[in-house]
Amino acid sequence: MALNPTGPASARTPDPGGAPVQMLACGRDAALVWDHAEAGVLDEHERTCPHCRSTVSDRDSLGGLVGRMAAQPLRPPPNVLEQVMGAVVADLRPHDLLVLAPGASLSRPAAAAALRHIVDSMDGLRARSCRIEQERPAPDPAPDGTDATIALPLRVTVTVAARFGVDLASVTARVRQMMISAGERALGVPVARVDIHVVDVWDEREDR
Amino acid sequence: MSSPGSSAPPVRYHVADLAVARIAARRARAVPSVVGLRADLSQTLLGLAGTWLNPDPVPPDLRAEGVTVAVHGDRADVRVTVVTELGPNCRELALTVQGEVARAVREATGLDATVQVTIADIELP
Repeated sequence: MALNPTGPASARTPDPGGAPVQMLACGRDAALVWDHAEAGVLDEHERTCPHCRSTVSDRDSLGGLVGRMAAQPLRPPPNVLEQVMGAVVADLRPHDLLVLAPGASLSRPAAAAALRHIVDSMDGLRARSCRIEQERPAPDPAPDGTDATIALPLRVTVTVAARFGVDLASVTARVRQMMISAGERALGVPVARVDIHVVDVWDEREDR
Repeated sequence: MSSPGSSAPPVRYHVADLAVARIAARRARAVPSVVGLRADLSQTLLGLAGTWLNPDPVPPDLRAEGVTVAVHGDRADVRVTVVTELGPNCRELALTVQGEVARAVREATGLDATVQVTIADIELP
């Protein structure tokens, strides 16, 4: 594509915008040199003159840069989607919190995800869902002298699928102990009750 | 010439919400087991816009996304939303952040800070 009308440099005067064309020190029009370089028709002067060669070099470097940038797929920074979605979810559920202490709270979905992960890490088990409820505070805070800074206990309901052949009775005992331990150690909240529903069994051979 | 005490002009001291937020965010990020701060939706969008549009972006150490502050006289209400990892005790972590942020704000500004901490997410291995 020609950048400027072709023709002898001497015939080229002001460009369509009215500004005079700034010639190279050797008297050539830089735009014309670009056109010649693009068309592969550089004359002897343009191939040897340092000013023209610099102009050709400029064109080559810009062409390379533009080509590389144009070839790059447009991508947002890697964590933009994650940031926005995390913020959207947080804004949609601003009150879905467990109370850890006065002025300290924990996202209920985050706590449930942590407990599900712990079940998933147990041999022969996969967590399907986990629901956490917290006892409501008394209307009159600590009327009986109990420590108001202690988190109120949780009730955890977890549904699991167990590997075929796993002793389901022992599964419930293991999950119950894990939930109680994880609640107190990882979340910092006592677990008062754990309901476990084994909703399915799976065969490891099916996974292969 | 009057004594320096009687000639001293009255000084009004006020700390902006943003200044307190930067102090609180910096301290909260430094608490062990805090993986990061979680901005709300408006802070996230403003932060992204600032990253792309501002030629002189705020250094990471001074970013205040995840902290909202309201200064009232000599008090500051601070809300900090953090992300942690699975393992540390969330309740102890929240109480640590509460105490550390309140102390940092008091030391730097003289304001009494009431700090509310929310753990928004637990990063899983």
